[in-house]
Amino acid sequence: MLAWRIILMTSGTVVGQFGALQLLVGTPVTNLLVLAAWMIGAVLIHDGILAPVVVAVGWAVGRVVPARARRYLQAFLVSGGLVTIVAVPLVARRGTQETAKAILQQNYGAHLTLLLGLLAAGSLLAYAAQVAADQRHARPPAETVEQ
Amino acid sequence: MLDFTTRQKPTWWPHFSSPLRSTALTARIGSVVGVCFLVCFATGLLSAYQYAPWSWLPIPAGPVWGYRVTQGVHVATGVATIPLLLVKLWSVYPNLFRWPSVRSLKHAAERLSVFVLVSAALVQLVTGFFNTLNWYPWGWDFVPVHHYLGYVVVGSILLHVGIKLPDIRYGLQAKLEDGDVLSEIPWDANPNAHSNAGTLPPPPMPALSRRGVLIAAGLGVGTVVVTSVGQTVTPLEPIGALAVRQAGKGPQRVPVNKTASSANVLEAAGSPTWSLTVTGPQAYTLTLAELEELATAEADLPISCVEGWSASGRWRGIRLLDLVMRAGGDEASTVTVVSLELESPYARSQVVGPQVGAALLATHLNGERLDMDHGYPVRLISPNRPGVLNTKWLSRVEVT
Repeated sequence: MLAWRIILMTSGTVVGQFGALQLLVGTPVTNLLVLAAWMIGAVLIHDGILAPVVVAVGWAVGRVVPARARRYLQAFLVSGGLVTIVAVPLVARRGTQETAKAILQQNYGAHLTLLLGLLAAGSLLAYAAQVAADQRHARPPAETVEQ
Repeated sequence: MLDFTTRQKPTWWPHFSSPLRSTALTARIGSVVGVCFLVCFATGLLSAYQYAPWSWLPIPAGPVWGYRVTQGVHVATGVATIPLLLVKLWSVYPNLFRWPSVRSLKHAAERLSVFVLVSAALVQLVTGFFNTLNWYPWGWDFVPVHHYLGYVVVGSILLHVGIKLPDIRYGLQAKLEDGDVLSEIPWDANPNAHSNAGTLPPPPMPALSRRGVLIAAGLGVGTVVVTSVGQTVTPLEPIGALAVRQAGKGPQRVPVNKTASSANVLEAAGSPTWSLTVTGPQAYTLTLAELEELATAEADLPISCVEGWSASGRWRGIRLLDLVMRAGGDEASTVTVVSLELESPYARSQVVGPQVGAALLATHLNGERLDMDHGYPVRLISPNRPGVLNTKWLSRVEVT
């Protein structure tokens, strides 16, 4: 494994430094500064805002939502959150381009709502099935009760 | 001198107690993310080669759908990697708060390499996605930065995989429900870590399981992919709720990326005195009427954009090779087509090798006279070639 690790680390360093060097020599300094700001900003936004919000929501769900329903809500939040992240730029950019380009002409806000509704419905159905299964297991068969 | 290893962790330092995150989970998601980035990089390099091929290795004219597939895969994989990377980063978030933050020079170097990896990967994916939305809220030239930042991303991934290889191997071999919990405590100081304790079941928790996380993430990523690839996978067009482009809405059922008015060619291209000059050993000129009379060849060819959309069309026009041979050239000639467009990096493009014999100078699309936005009066259309290199509004063909 050590040989693989050395090969990977060496080739990674060479490839990465090639890219970095090409960026440094081929990009005007002002653009490089903007690129650096984007790279630092991306990490700050992810690590400082997005990830803490996800952790906070997860913590709140653990506190507030009853145990049996929790996993279904979490599954909806994970899948729906990922779809939302990709859809938001589409919503923001809708209708900004010329018609002939056939680009960004859909009602992405409505489509996102529909997709979130479908994911929520799926989670609710799975939860309902869980509740029904729990009830079947918890109660003895009906004829036993009537005896 | 401060001894970092024994200093107590402050009480206010973030603490992660969820048993959901684990090396087994991260190794699985990370493998998918790694493969996606490699696919993106490989297809990206193919696309870059399309724009600047070596003279001894010209772009083949087939398969006709070559660029349509590779670039469709490039953009679809890139978009799918956005949510995948977010899940990957979520799964290792406690690592950001390991105490002490820096244990040694080696550890500092590793953390720096992770910063380069995460920052470059995020910027690469976000700017790549914004490019497909024709959105450039930055000052830099997109193409070269996207190209070389790709090397930075892939290089950092190789380095990262090399550093983490023992953990990756452990994680992929461990069952999802077993395995160590990934916390902010370093493995060598964590009595429950795999390196100390072997595989351990996570504490029971009435919530989503690790498998549940993978299923929910897969559902989210799958939804994104299925509802967006309709812009290039025609059968999925009807459910393209998040598709950026809709081929059917373009003029003559094919989208365009640059309109005639934005290219500032409306007057010149619409002029009845327009003519096509063909230079070469036997130069000549074709009037609009002569051109239309010669346009009898037909071909089904896709327009495949670097931005990941594509649409197939039925084109009618003149075989480029016929014009080239009339000018005294042959299949081995280098052909340059020149647009009426004045200020554009794509106002000229070169056709060499097998594409010379396969290309059309098209006058008709889907049974109609070419729309002004599609390059009236005549444009280049060639198989396995990026859309923007199928130059529109031609005024000259140079045969050398």
